Amino acid sequence: MSTKQVTLECVCALLILLFLYASISKFLDFKTFIDQVNNQPLPNSWTPFLVWAIPLVEIAISIALLFEYTRLLGLYAALIVMMIFTFYTGIVLLHFFPYIPCSCGGVITHLTWKQHLLLNLFYILISVLGVIQQHRKRFKPIFINNKHSFV
Amino acid sequence: MNKIKWTILASAILFSICSAFATRPKPLQSGLYYWNGSEYIAAGQMGVNYVCETSSNTCTFTYSDGVYTPYQTASNYTPIELKTAPSTKPTPKQEKR
Repeated sequence: MSTKQVTLECVCALLILLFLYASISKFLDFKTFIDQVNNQPLPNSWTPFLVWAIPLVEIAISIALLFEYTRLLGLYAALIVMMIFTFYTGIVLLHFFPYIPCSCGGVITHLTWKQHLLLNLFYILISVLGVIQQHRKRFKPIFINNKHSFV
Repeated sequence: MNKIKWTILASAILFSICSAFATRPKPLQSGLYYWNGSEYIAAGQMGVNYVCETSSNTCTFTYSDGVYTPYQTASNYTPIELKTAPSTKPTPKQEKR
């Protein structure tokens, strides 16, 4: 197993760790999660959709990252979801909303909004790394280093 | 190769499930309360009756055996009506005479 392959597996493992931990934690304390979504400066009418959509998407991404056939899709989905979370964290910090909700509703409850932002940026970075590695692996020319190679 | 791959991924799955259960918060024995400056009052439902805004205070407390313990920290209790409906009375126009 090459170093690049191990790196890719570690990237996927870190993403699975985050998304699976986040989704299971939400389902284990579902009532608190509903309250925390309500606490966000978003319309409360979105809550019934968000409380199911967020953890289910996180689980779907974790499953997609496990298998070779769906991994690229999973990596892109992880990147998009992390970008959405980061965008939301950014606009909260920029006082876009009438108030800054407590960050007690986050996955890692003791982190402040700025620490959440840094964590999200780290995960965006490794998602990009994963996408690049997976693309290289998936579309690697078959005839390289072969005497019949066209490359 | 597959063995290493599945060892890494299985460890991640196992660790995330175990840590989610390990960090699971204890169910609340009673409701939540807030300190209004002189006494503790039932907080109501989060996001419906109040929100916790980021600050250095404690938003809500739990109550058990006569003791109030900080629950949602680093935030401030704010009743929801203060966030939504600003009470601005229309100013009556002065009639020209």
